[in-house]
Amino acid sequence: MNLDRLMQIDRRIIYLFVAAGTILPIIFLLGLPVSTTPPVRMAFERIENQLEKGDVVLVSFDYGPSSAPENDPMADAILRHCFAKGIKVVVIALYPLGGLSEAIEELNKVAAEFPELEYGVDYVNLGYKDGAQAAMRKMNESFKEVFPLDVNGTPFDEIPMMRDIENYGDVKLVATLATGIIGEWWANLVNAQFGLPVIVGPTAVSAPKYYAYLEARQMVGLLGGLKGASEYERLVMDKYPRLAELYATPGLYTATKGMDVQSIVHLIMIAFILFGNLVYFTQKRKPRAAK
Amino acid sequence: MPGLGTWLAAFFTLCMLSFLYKDNPFFRVAESFFAGLSLGYYIGIVANQTLKPNLVLPLIQDFSANWNLVFAGGLGLMLYFRYIKKVAWVSRWALAVYVGYYVGVNMMQKLHGEVIPQVGDTMLSLSYSGIDTLWNVVMVAGVLSVLVYFYFSAEHKGAVGGISRLGIWFLMVSFGAAFGYTVMGRISLLIGRMVFLVNEWARPLIEAVI
Repeated sequence: MNLDRLMQIDRRIIYLFVAAGTILPIIFLLGLPVSTTPPVRMAFERIENQLEKGDVVLVSFDYGPSSAPENDPMADAILRHCFAKGIKVVVIALYPLGGLSEAIEELNKVAAEFPELEYGVDYVNLGYKDGAQAAMRKMNESFKEVFPLDVNGTPFDEIPMMRDIENYGDVKLVATLATGIIGEWWANLVNAQFGLPVIVGPTAVSAPKYYAYLEARQMVGLLGGLKGASEYERLVMDKYPRLAELYATPGLYTATKGMDVQSIVHLIMIAFILFGNLVYFTQKRKPRAAK
Repeated sequence: MPGLGTWLAAFFTLCMLSFLYKDNPFFRVAESFFAGLSLGYYIGIVANQTLKPNLVLPLIQDFSANWNLVFAGGLGLMLYFRYIKKVAWVSRWALAVYVGYYVGVNMMQKLHGEVIPQVGDTMLSLSYSGIDTLWNVVMVAGVLSVLVYFYFSAEHKGAVGGISRLGIWFLMVSFGAAFGYTVMGRISLLIGRMVFLVNEWARPLIEAVI
């Protein structure tokens, strides 16, 4: 075999392998097992064991369409968990480029799966607010001053569930699905200064830095990237049979299905890395043998 | 059959992916569309979700209770004075207020939310208490050796050089973990687009044709 030619392989050939490794598992589902890790179990158990029916959770959509494939499944799983447990949800968005669209789309989608729940009584979408840090600080004094209207233009005082929610003191937990730095602000500003427990679902790119906050107990749970989302899905499916049926719906994009693709693509990449190194070192030896 | 929105999304997705073959006009058009749409979206969302409910409506509906918002709105308007050469200096006043506010917020945030809790979490017990002690030793050794690596007032030779090299190893491990996560993140984005193309565009299209 001519190894020189392999060293010069066109990168687009590798793209083709990756494309095939991505598309085929989407069409032919593999159903690979998902194991859970402590950071995700901590997040799940915080909601499952320490919150009760009627408690309020703030869910902040701090990401846009650019990271939706990772953050959407996290948001869906947390919303489904809260709704299945009877927890009231206040949704906000602090990410400018698409946070509100994601909040509307995901909340509407998940709320439609729970027809017994009523908007304004069991959940509410307060919409987007600019200047994330300033909004986060002000919410400690008054939600109403930051969000005088909900996303539909309904005045704060006319939303039944908001009558009992004045500030962070009336909220048991915040779950932020985040890209970029906004997720960090929930940990190093809101948790540090106001003591509100924080679960962060960051994109995989920013997940490593959140382990420092988790270790320092500035967060109570972490869902790192698509893997974290798939673990949370596994936990809610194991606990709630109704949600397990829901997640089995054909055509529904879930992180668990996405992890099938991840596994295949990672295997392809590992194979190329090993192959590249093998060819490289074999080539490196040749001149020495010639000498 | 997929709707117009799906066709548009599929077209622009394929335009963006075409860059993998090589740079081309389709990619550039899609890139420009994305930049323009993002800007338009941002302007619209700030106007509808922040300026209207938090500034305009309170001033119109109850001026006497919200008159102080005039100052906030005024500061925002002052920023645009930079486009009028003669009074461009006015925009700096508003900028000074914004910078001052966020410096104050960030100073406390960094100190209270990062420096103190993170330093506190590094002060770990090294007395023997099982396997945890081993992790505590690794954590303390990692933090100290990386700090030594970034200490440039002493030449990295001898003991300092050795500890610094240990710091490099810790850094390499953390970069490796970060890179692994980054690969997963990028593949996730590809999965999102491929799921859309396969399940929402190609599959209904094939079903409609067949």
